[in-house]
Amino acid sequence: MKSPLHIAKQQDLDALGIEAAGKNTARDGLVSVLGEMSRSTRALSVMLDTCTKCGNCAEQCHSYLGTRDPHNVPAARADLMRRVYKRHFTLAGKSLGRFVGASACDDETIERWLTYFYQCNECRRCAVFCPFGIDTAEITIAARHILSRLGIVPKFMQGVAANLQNTGNNMGIGKPALIDCVEFIEEEMKEETGLDIKIPVDQPCSDILYVPSSADFFTNVDTMIGAAKIFHVLGANWTISSSALEAANFGLLFNLSIMRQHGQRLREAAAAVGASLVVHGECGHGWRAALMCTESASTPVPYRLQHVLDYACENLSRLPLSKLPLRVTLHDPCNYARAGGIVEQPREVLRACVEEFVEMTPNRRENFCCGGGSGLLMDEMMDIRLKLGQKKAEQVKAVGPLDYLAIPCSICKAQMPHVLKHNGMQALEMGGVLDLVGKALNLGGTKA
Amino acid sequence: MSLFVGNVFPYLAIAVFAGGMTWRTAYWLRKPVPYPLAVDRDQRGIAGQAGVVAAELLLFRSLYRGDRRLWRRAALMHASLAAIVIGHVVGISCSSRQFTVLGVSAATSVSMAATLGVVFGLLLTVSVLALLRRRIAVPEVRRISDPADYFDLLLLLAIAATGLMMRLLPLELDQQAVRSYLGGLLTLSPVPIPGPWPFVCHFTLVSCLLAYLPFSKLVHLSGGVVSRALLLGPPRATSSPPSPKPDCACLAGNRPR
Amino acid sequence: MSVDSVETVHLELDEDGFLCDPQTWNEQAVEALARLEDIDELTDGHWKVIHFLRDYHRQFGIAPMVRKLCKETGFTLQEIYTMFPSGPAKGACKLAGLPKPTGCV
Repeated sequence: MKSPLHIAKQQDLDALGIEAAGKNTARDGLVSVLGEMSRSTRALSVMLDTCTKCGNCAEQCHSYLGTRDPHNVPAARADLMRRVYKRHFTLAGKSLGRFVGASACDDETIERWLTYFYQCNECRRCAVFCPFGIDTAEITIAARHILSRLGIVPKFMQGVAANLQNTGNNMGIGKPALIDCVEFIEEEMKEETGLDIKIPVDQPCSDILYVPSSADFFTNVDTMIGAAKIFHVLGANWTISSSALEAANFGLLFNLSIMRQHGQRLREAAAAVGASLVVHGECGHGWRAALMCTESASTPVPYRLQHVLDYACENLSRLPLSKLPLRVTLHDPCNYARAGGIVEQPREVLRACVEEFVEMTPNRRENFCCGGGSGLLMDEMMDIRLKLGQKKAEQVKAVGPLDYLAIPCSICKAQMPHVLKHNGMQALEMGGVLDLVGKALNLGGTKA
Repeated sequence: MSLFVGNVFPYLAIAVFAGGMTWRTAYWLRKPVPYPLAVDRDQRGIAGQAGVVAAELLLFRSLYRGDRRLWRRAALMHASLAAIVIGHVVGISCSSRQFTVLGVSAATSVSMAATLGVVFGLLLTVSVLALLRRRIAVPEVRRISDPADYFDLLLLLAIAATGLMMRLLPLELDQQAVRSYLGGLLTLSPVPIPGPWPFVCHFTLVSCLLAYLPFSKLVHLSGGVVSRALLLGPPRATSSPPSPKPDCACLAGNRPR
Repeated sequence: MSVDSVETVHLELDEDGFLCDPQTWNEQAVEALARLEDIDELTDGHWKVIHFLRDYHRQFGIAPMVRKLCKETGFTLQEIYTMFPSGPAKGACKLAGLPKPTGCV
């Protein structure tokens, strides 16, 4: 099938500074960059070499289960790269060809890479169920990086990356706009609580730099309010940074050099305010990139990096909470449960904030992706996105009557309303975990 | 021809196997891991991590959780293969007398070795056939299969079949001649290979398997461990304990971009 | 990019249906875009939202927070979805000639 993705124009990609593959044809470029990457990372070569085609991954992948497209079986998806890798870089592939599943790169290869590596949500569930831990997300990350070096990038990704480079956040929020947003949110909190709860911006000599998702300043305001209230109650000396207002890091999702640039930007923002603790907001892949890639990308970071839900959990005994009369379930974002180590913390926080917390099944490291993961939020992908979200919808339905679906990740928050609406659950309220903390906190102002 | 098959090819095969496995494993291990790939960040100690590895290597935990039918077939295949390999090494070196440690007579030990060999040989055959059937019958598995995936199973089947023939067919197979032949290979003073064709086929097929293994998906023997190990352990902690609060960089005029 | 022709209005739209050149925005363009968005009639409510979005964008370079949009215009989110079926980001911003809000939205 042909990909519905809108592709970025070359001049827009040039502005991002992505290094081109430097070969005459796209096919040669693909093989060249694939060779570079497989020679320089252990994961790629061993994972491409080791698959025994057992097919255990097929029934564990929400992408295959939702679309029933054979190329979306993780082993088949990986094979799109494995075939070319074997043909060009392994003895057996060069000598035995199709017998061992090797085939040369052709134009159809590139078309299929674009189609199917942008139908993988990089959720890593296949890695959990593969006997050898073959991580299709790693292969997808590499494939998308290679495509970017060929000048093939979804327009959506390019637009986000351009905003990220220019303003330090995905939405393109400049400082004057940020100040206006902050003033508005502070007014809202004052109306609600009677208290002057501040959101400091670029405050020097702060102990804590809080890095929210920029979507918290557009649609997910309650998440920002929850964070502000927590810091207020704890008397924290904190600030946000107008130059690094983005927990997300779309570079992880299509070009690894851009990922490193954004990581560097966070490092500089923390240094500028002198923070010894950087608290990362409700963003899945961004947390993974910050936790697992920032230090590795250059030098050790001179601050402690902590996720906001871990921070809340650590300080739970100091938060005066009254349980909300709600029946709540938790969706484990993939990058928390299968990379970022944020598994029990949201549960502890939710149990302290609501009267009834129930688990969906499966959960934790075996949870299913929402279908929007790895930045698949393009409008032109909506039909596919709804199929990718099918297993998730079934999980939510199976929980039974619910008051609130806790989803502590911005991409999930953007994807799930569509999935819920498509499955007749548009009445179900959903949002972050911080949102509920904000509502459950007793702040002792003129209004509770 | 029989000189090549009996006295040259086995050496070639073992050299290719040992060299190939070493080269491939070293190739992977030489490569850096730029970003940690842990899936679980629980702070397991060495004992805990060893437990995870053991659960996967010995019990095929991920298959158990994912697909019970596949788990049964794969576990049985690997378990019977392991039993056969161990049985061959122990049995041939002890002339099938290894069970005398249990207090039985030598004759009983030989009989037990033969019976166990047939039992595990049959279990291997049955499980390989079941896996072959699965590969043909399940659409998702069929679609991801290459010719080599079928070939590997057929090769194992041929090895199992020729092995069973040596036990079940009325052959003139002199066990002492086999021991002498293998001993000759090991001590680098080779003697001609013993005659019965099932033995020659069996031994040659095993040599082919050994030579083929490092360059096929059967390299998961070591690749699987190297790959799985990438997913273990907590991600590297992001920092040493936070440094003492510096004079604010902001005061020094180091403004963010 | 496509060139759409509705009656005598020529608009250059990108693949998402947003104006390529914000300078080409005018009231006729809004009417044409409304038809493409299956909006039958542009009421005072529509125009209130559109003008608020344009003023905010002129001042701050981005679309306003959805909550602020609701508060300042006096409409609930549900009412905005009723007026602009594609929602505040993809519907109202489109008609207001703003760039499409991007990111995790």
